[in-house]
Amino acid sequence: MTDPYRVLNIPPTATDEEVKKAYRELARKYHPDNYNNNPLADLAQEKMKEINEAYDTITKLRSGQGGSCGTGPRRPYGGQSAYGSQSAYSWTYTSSARREENDREKSAAFRQVRAAIDRGDLSAAEHVLEIISDRGGEWYFLKGVIYCRRGWLEEGLRCCETACRLSPENMEYRQLLEQLRSRTQRAYRPVGYPPVFTTSCVDTGFCRWMLCSYCCCNCCSLCSLSHF
Amino acid sequence: MFGYVRPSLHRLSEEERRRYQALYCGLCHTLGQRCGSLSRLILNYDFTFLAALLSGDTETQRRRCIASPLRAKETACESAALDLAADVSVILTYHKVADDRIDGGFWRGQACRAAQTALGPAYRRAAALRSDLDERTRLELDRLHQLEQDRCPSLDAPADTFALLLQSAAMELEEGTQRRVLEQMLYHLGRWIYLVDAVDDLQEDSETGGYNPVALRFGLTDGTLTKEARERVGETLDASIQAMAAAYELWDFGPWSALVQATVYEGLYCVGHAVMDGTFHIAQRRGDKKELL
Repeated sequence: MTDPYRVLNIPPTATDEEVKKAYRELARKYHPDNYNNNPLADLAQEKMKEINEAYDTITKLRSGQGGSCGTGPRRPYGGQSAYGSQSAYSWTYTSSARREENDREKSAAFRQVRAAIDRGDLSAAEHVLEIISDRGGEWYFLKGVIYCRRGWLEEGLRCCETACRLSPENMEYRQLLEQLRSRTQRAYRPVGYPPVFTTSCVDTGFCRWMLCSYCCCNCCSLCSLSHF
Repeated sequence: MFGYVRPSLHRLSEEERRRYQALYCGLCHTLGQRCGSLSRLILNYDFTFLAALLSGDTETQRRRCIASPLRAKETACESAALDLAADVSVILTYHKVADDRIDGGFWRGQACRAAQTALGPAYRRAAALRSDLDERTRLELDRLHQLEQDRCPSLDAPADTFALLLQSAAMELEEGTQRRVLEQMLYHLGRWIYLVDAVDDLQEDSETGGYNPVALRFGLTDGTLTKEARERVGETLDASIQAMAAAYELWDFGPWSALVQATVYEGLYCVGHAVMDGTFHIAQRRGDKKELL
């Protein structure tokens, strides 16, 4: 078994408070919110599982229960299943199975698209979507989901906006739109890195970058030739 | 070719900066050895960052070169990662120059023709070694060319071609977590570079009538960003950087971790901001002057 202290990147001599702090930092880093719309969500989920297990092992060892599973102390950050559950990392839209229960009247084609997205088969999802002629809120929403998964972030956002305009009452669409709009504000940043955006770069980082000499070699006048 | 990808240097320790410089010099030497001296002129920070992403532990040695003939400089030793970064640099630059030659006016066309001729032998050597990569690059640039011809008003469609093209550098690695992480990082790095370059070229393209997806998407005619366009482009650039940062956290980049972190959590935002404000090239020139002093 992997050393739990190594997983949390702390020495075995760390205090309980330090253990909690290390766990919180890692939990923030691999939080599902950082991996929404992300093809690497499964890797983040694995990391989260490892971190949760390491934290549980340490707390159990320290409370004298050994490393066995059971009702150990709760994790300080969100409880037993806050992070790392399958649903937390998957898309915010309702999975195909629940959708079938909730909304049997939806056309079979849309269900097919959702199922293909769940499987990660974006080409199949797109193919089915293209032959659907009813291009209402649902169509634009699913198109937006596919775009975002492919990394077409601007088109994804536009489709999601159209979906919300066409079906303003739909909570599912609004939730995704909200998530896409706020993703960079809520994204994880390491300790010591203040929030920064392309449109409003903080003074410290930008000015220092401006003032820093930026030449790796002695022949930058030559290198600048290549900046065409 | 572009030179936009830069870490925030103040975030790096003295040793990390030295290592970065050694990698830059190492890539320059590798380009010279593998592809001929002329290919060294295509070296830039984007390719150095690519080399950092591909490199693990790197040994260094002291070497002299044409830019530093008297004082031997610390240089990264040859490695498979540097070889790959050098080949990608040559293949990408050659095809980009060929593409620009078709699109550019008479004088630009002549300059590109000269550059293409000069890069020819280097390109043939690199393409022979990495035929898949060469084929993929050619295909994606053809696709980009077609979108340019159609004056496609989307940001994502043309950016996707360049993103896939850069992503294909990861195809040379073995399948596994590292490859998946790098594919995601390189996709969004390519997307980011393409879009930042489009913003940088707004003024020039509005004067020459060249294809510019940002201008077409937001209906810009005078080469300046409107408030809405600025917000929207900024938002999508931020989203790509965030995707890179999220991917970065899933792989151990060893000695290059600080460099990658300083790039994806700060450097790229600063460069994007400077490009949008039109101060990027001024800052670059100031940097050069400071070095000369």
